[in-house]
Amino acid sequence: MTIRIWEGKADGTRSGPMGSGGCASRPGVTRRSFLRGATGALGGMAALVAALRPLKDLPQDALPSLDQFLQKHYKEMSASDMDRALARIRADVEDRFGVTPNLRDVRPMEGVQFAYALNLSRCIGCRRCVHACVGENNQSRSPEIQYIRVLEMPRGTIDLDQGNHHYERARVPDAEHYYLPVQCHQCANPPCTKVCPVEATWKEPDGIVVVDYDWCIGCRYCEAACPYWARRFNFAEPQIPRDKLNPDMSYLSNRPRPRGVMEKCHFCLHRTREGRMPACLEACPVGARKFGNVLDPESEVSQILKTKRVFVLKEEVGTLPRFFYYFDERYPRAIEAEPTGPGAPEIGLPGSASGAGA
Amino acid sequence: MDHTPKRADATGGSRLAWLIGPAFLGLAAWFVWMAPWPRIPLGATPAFDVGAIVPRPRLAVMTDPPQIDVGSYEHRCDDCHRLFKSSTEKTTGRVQHTEIVFNHGMNNRCSNCHDKEHREKLVLRDGSLISFPGAPLLCAQCHGTTFHDWERGTHGKTLGSWERDNPAFRRLTCVECHDPHSPAFAPIAPLPAPHTLRMGPQQAEVERREASPLAIPFEHHAEPGAAQDEVGTPGGAREGGEG
Repeated sequence: MTIRIWEGKADGTRSGPMGSGGCASRPGVTRRSFLRGATGALGGMAALVAALRPLKDLPQDALPSLDQFLQKHYKEMSASDMDRALARIRADVEDRFGVTPNLRDVRPMEGVQFAYALNLSRCIGCRRCVHACVGENNQSRSPEIQYIRVLEMPRGTIDLDQGNHHYERARVPDAEHYYLPVQCHQCANPPCTKVCPVEATWKEPDGIVVVDYDWCIGCRYCEAACPYWARRFNFAEPQIPRDKLNPDMSYLSNRPRPRGVMEKCHFCLHRTREGRMPACLEACPVGARKFGNVLDPESEVSQILKTKRVFVLKEEVGTLPRFFYYFDERYPRAIEAEPTGPGAPEIGLPGSASGAGA
Repeated sequence: MDHTPKRADATGGSRLAWLIGPAFLGLAAWFVWMAPWPRIPLGATPAFDVGAIVPRPRLAVMTDPPQIDVGSYEHRCDDCHRLFKSSTEKTTGRVQHTEIVFNHGMNNRCSNCHDKEHREKLVLRDGSLISFPGAPLLCAQCHGTTFHDWERGTHGKTLGSWERDNPAFRRLTCVECHDPHSPAFAPIAPLPAPHTLRMGPQQAEVERREASPLAIPFEHHAEPGAAQDEVGTPGGAREGGEG
């Protein structure tokens, strides 16, 4: 626009009658060229303002504070750096939820490699694990983020494409299906960490693949790389009811996440690195979930790996999961229909015993 | 000479510029005040009973001596059975304990597990008496493989800690999950299914490949050479699996 004004001036000097009607002090600038340039400039400014307009809707805490902006990568933080970061997160949680969290940075235990095993003969697909996980790990309730997907699979196949995790039934298990819960497999050879352009996700010494939510740039490469669809992205600001926040949290696991970062199952590391069980295991009503230290030969997971028939999902892709599925030797009990009819109420009669006895 | 046409162009351009400026202004005003801000539509959070998630044993284990809740008072078995020597040969005609649902296969006689004389004890097949908390030994008489699995930790549920030397480590016993009179788990209602962002609750069949209008028929995946022989088999297996 400025160029045009100067052009106008050049023109104006040549064509006298048009120039004479212009500003008295600047004979080169005519009224028309001035208005033309000014309108254009104003329009350009307005367009710029419009383009920057989304900034107006940013909430106060959306822009990082100086501390947050200068915060280092998790692995490069000194103890005092971590203390500062924890204090900042603690204040943020207090501000948003009105509770003081028991926030800490839980480090891996020596001589421990975690493994998880899940008994497919037992799982009934009741989704207790899914919702226990959501409650424990402060996942967003809306939009919904869940780490565990329970696939309802037709019996006789492990083709995951035939699985369905939207099943709605009055009662589970269904006689024609079995149930395959899938969550992060904490691979020993994780594709997700390799594709991260900023190394915001990595494998810890105890085998848990973690995410530094303050370092993640939200590119979602890891989500695409994961063959198990185990990573979740916060498309919107996570919504957690104030009274539903779990205040027992750690830096790498279940502290509240901002919008635009990835998250995933971390074997409840704030619990398991302190000796406790993962929340999904504690919620399982049929004891299908097993967790422990695979370096301990007497641990439950070691015994399962030794004595049970075990498989991993998508073994052929070479991810070496530490999440194992296993069976009991006998076929799971046939699921009987709801006890109705004349036989059911007469409990205890010698003749009423069903043939499916132990 | 060559300035005259340029002059005319500039005049035409200036008319356009008069339009462009207000147009930008109007657009900016529309952006700032009137344009709807794109919001991600969120489905309602499903409501469900959080009490359905129980990180505890399903059932309480019996103490030694066992306490039984009768009329909201705790009684010992012998409080009654000192006086009432009930017939135990058959399970018919129960007058008391009618609330017990009995569905344990062929194991349908009280005296298979309960001692006839000492009602606060359980009896093994060799006649020896054990206390109620020692029930896994009794169960092991029939469910040997499951008992060994339980001993190894490959069956059952462990709460508290995964560290075996941790004082909180506790492996639940048989009767903390299974009702000994009706040990099979009854089917239960599942908790709500996931909601997909933007779309809310999904039809159960939406993600089925067969149900999708964009689905590629399964046969197209088969290799051309093998198509003639092999197509029938996986297709048939699939139908069988779904049926």
